[in-house]
Amino acid sequence: MDFLAQLLPHVVNGVSLGLLFALIALGFMLIVGVMETINLAHGSLFALGMYVALFIAAPQLGMFPELQASYMALPVSLRYLLALLLAPVFVGIFGMGLELCMRRTYGRDPLYGLLLTFGAALVIEEGIRLVWGSSEKQIPLPEAISGAVLLGDLIYSRYRFFASGFAVLMIFVLWLFLQKTPYGAIIKAGAHDSEMVRALGINLSRLRLFVFGLGVALAAIAGVVLAPIWGVRPHVGVDAVVPAFLIIVLGGVGSLWGAVIAGLMVGMVVGLTGAYASEWSLMSMYLLFIAVVTFRSRGLFGKKSVLDA
Amino acid sequence: MSDHNDRSTPSRRALLKGGGLALAGAGLYGVAPFMGPWKHNRVWAQTAQKKPLVIGLTMDASGQYAASGGEERLGAMMAIKEFNDKGGVLGRRIEAIHIDTETTPATGSRVAERMITRNEASFLIGAVHSGVANAISQVAQKYGTIFLNTNSSSPTEAGKDCHRVKFVWDGNGTNFSNATVKNAIAASGRNWVLLTNDYVWGHTTSKATRAIVEANGGKIVDELLVPQNTRDFSSYLLKLQQLKPNVVATAVGGDDIKALRQQVVQLKLNQSMAWINNQQDWPDVYGLGPETIFGVFGTTWYYRLDLPGVKEFVAAYQKQFPGMAIRVPGNVYHNGYMATRELLRCVEEAGTTQNIAVIKKLEGRQMKAVDRLQHHDAWMDPLTHQCQQTIYMARYNDAPAEKDDIFKILTQADPKDVQDKDAGAACKLESYEATPSYEV
Repeated sequence: MDFLAQLLPHVVNGVSLGLLFALIALGFMLIVGVMETINLAHGSLFALGMYVALFIAAPQLGMFPELQASYMALPVSLRYLLALLLAPVFVGIFGMGLELCMRRTYGRDPLYGLLLTFGAALVIEEGIRLVWGSSEKQIPLPEAISGAVLLGDLIYSRYRFFASGFAVLMIFVLWLFLQKTPYGAIIKAGAHDSEMVRALGINLSRLRLFVFGLGVALAAIAGVVLAPIWGVRPHVGVDAVVPAFLIIVLGGVGSLWGAVIAGLMVGMVVGLTGAYASEWSLMSMYLLFIAVVTFRSRGLFGKKSVLDA
Repeated sequence: MSDHNDRSTPSRRALLKGGGLALAGAGLYGVAPFMGPWKHNRVWAQTAQKKPLVIGLTMDASGQYAASGGEERLGAMMAIKEFNDKGGVLGRRIEAIHIDTETTPATGSRVAERMITRNEASFLIGAVHSGVANAISQVAQKYGTIFLNTNSSSPTEAGKDCHRVKFVWDGNGTNFSNATVKNAIAASGRNWVLLTNDYVWGHTTSKATRAIVEANGGKIVDELLVPQNTRDFSSYLLKLQQLKPNVVATAVGGDDIKALRQQVVQLKLNQSMAWINNQQDWPDVYGLGPETIFGVFGTTWYYRLDLPGVKEFVAAYQKQFPGMAIRVPGNVYHNGYMATRELLRCVEEAGTTQNIAVIKKLEGRQMKAVDRLQHHDAWMDPLTHQCQQTIYMARYNDAPAEKDDIFKILTQADPKDVQDKDAGAACKLESYEATPSYEV
């Protein structure tokens, strides 16, 4: 009983961590599932989302100090909300530009797409360094979602609850969009048989542009949500893209619920090992991956495509 | 409809395989610029030609210690500028070249190899991460190139991983533990938890802390290993709440300690247990809010030490590097500057860049406190090649004289009182004869 009481907080923490991992993987899953493109720039776009949000929430307008002062006089909660809403839009549009560059790689050896997105990742990361510098930054948080809450005799971060709740909301919204809207149906059909979709008169290029933009916007949303936890650094994308890749393979490529469940599993494993065998905490996700893929090479839900779920 | 859709689509399996290989093989963005393989045509020029003296700066510009790497680089550049303003050294201008070592040991090796064999660097300067420092020093020893480890403070650097060509300029984990632990047990309690970055510096520092805690009647309740680049400390902080220690001793550095500090404050754990950070590098706390600078920590220098010359040193930094994000220099800059300046002085005194002659000048070198802007005289231990210097204990300054005045210096320890007594036995320096002769 005592052991269970000790374990429970770590299970709660693992679930919260897992939801955040799932949030990171959503955009990656969508792009791989529909476009069969591994977007190695996912992590850098995640980081770009953080920086654009930082710019919106706490801009440094050196040449316009009065403008900056009047903007900063707005309540933190309003600036944070604007960041949460606008950063994904801007980064999503940027992602659409990247998709236009990628078009010549479609249908060719996958290495072309990998190299292009890898190059884009390097360019984005260095661009961030040039614009914002190398030092770590913090996004200001509204008081309502910062600080701590006391549950039993343990203290939890209030923001973690907000971030986890937001991740649940995003997963639900994405599911709703894919399952219940005609646009979702087109995306699913495009993932299933793109030739047939094109034969039916749907503009496949526009569909891909939209899906890529949506996937990138999801990466940016994850970046904005994770920024107060991980900190805002130019190379933070590396911390995001590796788990994202692992989660979508673990869950089964293209499976929305596979990504969510794999994210939860990874979060749980990382959270529990962090508490009880901390030296294994980072490696544990890879061990989990090996264990699952050894016995089920297509991942947990690999049989179904996302978009059939 | 564009024609690219007509081509055959690669299988999903092939795509994933390619993606996985790309991720693993490239080491993702940690991938270094392609730098090899190099053909080792070493044609050593003669000093008589008065060609520039090349110094290779092996500092991190990315990764966990990017911020500190930038600061120590400025320190080295300042010392080089001062010598160049006087006409260089031995009549030769000094040229500094820098390549990012990426807080990655493999990159450190590659950069060192390149600087020695391609750029004909006379000396290598710079390291914060002990794994990188060790990697660079192995290459340096192979060629006989003198390497200054400016800011890596793992006890192993001047212990089992010492080398004849390597000189360590920072205080090490044992020095800092010696300075802090005894007082902290008396002030805060006997039950300690160690929070340890899971690499050589973290391990060796926590090992030193453990030994001193246990020798003074304290107890290590648990040790939590923190993998490098950990950003989410939630499971560690929950565990700490369950363990309820009196003191948490951290050996966590770089970006990791920044994230840890912020998350500790979010949970208000800085109020319920005492925190000791073995060493707190200035770039890792500069710019963080006052609430995130909690606990007691060690450092080797502070910009508001009430000593002659400190104000001028700070003013020179601000004049040379205006508009920097870090407006005043800290311990990392100080180490970079002092190490480089002392090396160049030794070259001048030796009258040559020949490695053994310069090494002999550095070994046992005495440095006056007033010259190093510290409270006690320092010296370069000839047995371990570690600079023995004043160790300061500090905490957050509740009454800052100005915005940047965030440390309150509590005590300063004489280097003799905090010396790492085990280092001498662990360090086996190569003989002069076994060290390749090197002169560029």
